[in-house]
Amino acid sequence: MSFLILSQILNGFATGMLYALVGVGLTLVLGVLNLPNFAHGTLFAFGAYFTYTVANLTDSFYLGVLIGPLLVVLIGFVIESQGVRRLYAAHHDYQLLFLFAVALILQETVILIWGPVGFSLLPPKFLAGAVDLGFTVYPKYRLALILFTATIVVALYLMLTRTNVGAILRAGIENREMVKVLGIDINKVFLFTFGLGAYLAGLAGGLATPIWGLTPTMGFDILPISFVIVVVAGLGSILGAIAAGILIGLAQSLTTIWWPEAANVVIYLIMGLTIILRPQGLFGSR
Amino acid sequence: MISRLSEKLRSLRTMGLSMAGAAALATVMFLPTQSAAEEEVVILGIWPITGPYADMGPLLNRGVEIALEEVGYKVAGKKIKYITRDSETKAGTAARRAQGAIDSEGVKFIIGPWSSGVALAVTEVAKKNKVMYYFSGGTEDITGKRCHKYAFMWAANAWTAMDANLKIFKKFNPNAKSIYLFVVDYAFGWTLQKYVEKLAPKYGLKIAGVDRHPLGHREYSSFITKAMATKPDAVYMINFGLDAISAVRQLYNFGFTPKKPVILSWSAGVEELVQMDPAMRANLQFGTNYYYTVDTPGNKSFVDAYKKKSGGIPPGYAPGAGYGLMKMTLLGMQKANSTDPKKVIQALEGLKGKNFVGDFAINGRNHQTVRPYFVARTKPEDKMANKYDFATIQDISSTEQPRDLNQCQDIGGF
Repeated sequence: MSFLILSQILNGFATGMLYALVGVGLTLVLGVLNLPNFAHGTLFAFGAYFTYTVANLTDSFYLGVLIGPLLVVLIGFVIESQGVRRLYAAHHDYQLLFLFAVALILQETVILIWGPVGFSLLPPKFLAGAVDLGFTVYPKYRLALILFTATIVVALYLMLTRTNVGAILRAGIENREMVKVLGIDINKVFLFTFGLGAYLAGLAGGLATPIWGLTPTMGFDILPISFVIVVVAGLGSILGAIAAGILIGLAQSLTTIWWPEAANVVIYLIMGLTIILRPQGLFGSR
Repeated sequence: MISRLSEKLRSLRTMGLSMAGAAALATVMFLPTQSAAEEEVVILGIWPITGPYADMGPLLNRGVEIALEEVGYKVAGKKIKYITRDSETKAGTAARRAQGAIDSEGVKFIIGPWSSGVALAVTEVAKKNKVMYYFSGGTEDITGKRCHKYAFMWAANAWTAMDANLKIFKKFNPNAKSIYLFVVDYAFGWTLQKYVEKLAPKYGLKIAGVDRHPLGHREYSSFITKAMATKPDAVYMINFGLDAISAVRQLYNFGFTPKKPVILSWSAGVEELVQMDPAMRANLQFGTNYYYTVDTPGNKSFVDAYKKKSGGIPPGYAPGAGYGLMKMTLLGMQKANSTDPKKVIQALEGLKGKNFVGDFAINGRNHQTVRPYFVARTKPEDKMANKYDFATIQDISSTEQPRDLNQCQDIGGF
C-alpha cells in the first residue's frame, strides 16, 4: 500500500504541476485585470494544437513546445487589445459574455482548422517509455514534466517577486488605480499580463499533449479545474495557485486509491470546503 | 347609459368579427399543414451535438442521411421529414426535446441517442407517446427490465459482446490468468462489468481489480499505477470514446502496452483508432458493433457512400449505428407498407434477414436485434495497407444472450 501511495503522490505532482501552470495564468489575469477569463481553457487548447502542428512540421517536440505557446500569446494580445480593453469600463456582465463568446469562437475555430476528431502526440524519443523507480514503473516524460514545470513555476515566482515587472504586476493586483497614479501605462501592464496568462495556458496545453492528447473540447475540460484552483488559492495569489494546483492534483490522485469514482468530485469538494471555511482562499487576503 | 351600451355592443361585434377572422385564418393555415402531415412521416434523430459525445453526433447523423438518400427520402408512399435535436448527452434535455418534437412536429419515430443514460429517458417518452423508438445500443435495460412494445435496440446485447471479447482474448493469450477492469461509472459500464465478472471464469480468467472512473475522465495515471501493481495480463476497458483513448494513450506512456494487451470491449472502432498514434494502438484488441471491413454487399455500398462524404475516412461505429438504425426503421415501414408505428412494430417483431452487418433477427419477446458483434486486433504499422487499415476482424459472434439473463419479463401491448 505504501508503494501505491508513493506512486499516487508522484502522479499527483505531475498532474498538479500542469494544473498549477494553468491556474497561475488565470489568477494573474483575474488579479490584475479583474477579469474572469473564460477563454483561458481554449487558450490551453490552442497551445496544444499549435504545439502539435509545429512538432509535426519540424519533427521536433521541443520546437513545438517552444513556439506553440508563443503563438498563443499572439492570440492573447489580440483578445486583450481588440476586445477586452474596450470593455474595462463596462459592466462585468458584458466582460463575461464577451469572454464566453470568445471561448466558443475559439473552440469552433479549432474544429474548423484541425477538424472534430482528436489527435495524439508521442513524447520525444529521449523521454519515451518508462523507468523503474523501485516502487513503481513511471513514464520518463511525466518525471521530466515535474522537473520542467517546477523550474517554470520557480522562475515565474522569482520574476514576480524579484523583478520590477513583477513588482508592477503585484501592485496591479493590490491596487491598480495606484499603479496608474504612479505614471505606469496600465494598458501595457494589462496587455503583458493577458499575454503572460495566455503563454502559461498555452505552455500547459503544449506540455499536456503527450499525456492527454488533443481534442477540440479540451479547453472546456480544463476550465472548471482552473477556476477551482483560483478559488482555492485566493484571488490573485500566485503562490496560492501553485499550491492549489498541486493540492488538487494530489487529492485527485490519492482519492483513486480508496474511492476512484470520486476522483472528479473531490476537486469540487475541496472548493466547497474552502468557500465555507476560508472564503478568501488558502493564500488570499480579500 | 345608452351610449355606453352601444359602445359595448360595438366592441363585442368587433371582437366577434376578429374571432371569426382568426378562425378562418387558422383554418386556411391549418389545412395545408394537415394535408402535408398526411403525406409525410416525421422521424426524429436525437444525437449528441454538444456535451461529452459531441464528436459523435455529426457522424451518427451522416450515417442516417446515407440511409435516407438511398430511398430518396420516401418510404411506403410517403415523404420522409427527418428532423434532429441535440441530446447534449443529458437525460432531461433529451427527454424534453423529444417530447417537444413529438408535440410540435408530429414525430412518429425516434432514433438515437448514443448514451445509455439518455436512452433510458427517451424510451419512456416513446412509451408514453406511443412512438416507435430504435436505440443505437448500450444499456441492456432497453431490451431488459425497461422493455416495452415501442422500443428496439440495434447493437448486440452486452452479454454477447463481452463473451466475444473474452473468447478472443483467451484464444490469442492462452497463458493469461488475470485482467484488470477500467469501468466508466454509469449504467452501461456497470452492465458490462457484471457480464465480464460472470464470464471471466469460463475462460479461466480472474479479475485482478476493478476501478470505476467518472464519465469524461482524462487522467488515468492513478488507475494505471494501481492496475500495474496487481500485474494483470491485460487491462480490459469498459469505457468509450475520449475516455478510452486517454486511457490507451497513458497505458502506452507507462509502458504497459505494447508489452501487454489492452482490450477495448465496446469500441467505436475507426473513430477511436484514428485518434491514436500507431505506436499506442499496438497490441490492442477491440470489440465493436461495426467495422468497415465487414464483407457484405450492403456494407460495401455504405462504405463507398460514406467515404464520399467524409473525404475518404471509412465509417466507424457511430455512422454505422446511424445508418443501421435508419435502415431498420425504414425496413419496418417497407415490410408493413405503412408508417403507422403499431404496424411497423408488428412487421419488425420476429423479422429475419441480411443487412450490411450480416444476418440479423429481431427477437419478438424483447425487441433485441440479434446480429453480429465483431472482435478485431490491431495491425502493426508496417503491416497496414493504408492509413485506415487498422485491424483484422478475428471473430464474429451472434450468440444470443441466455434467456434466463434477460430481464424483459413482459414486453406488454400497444
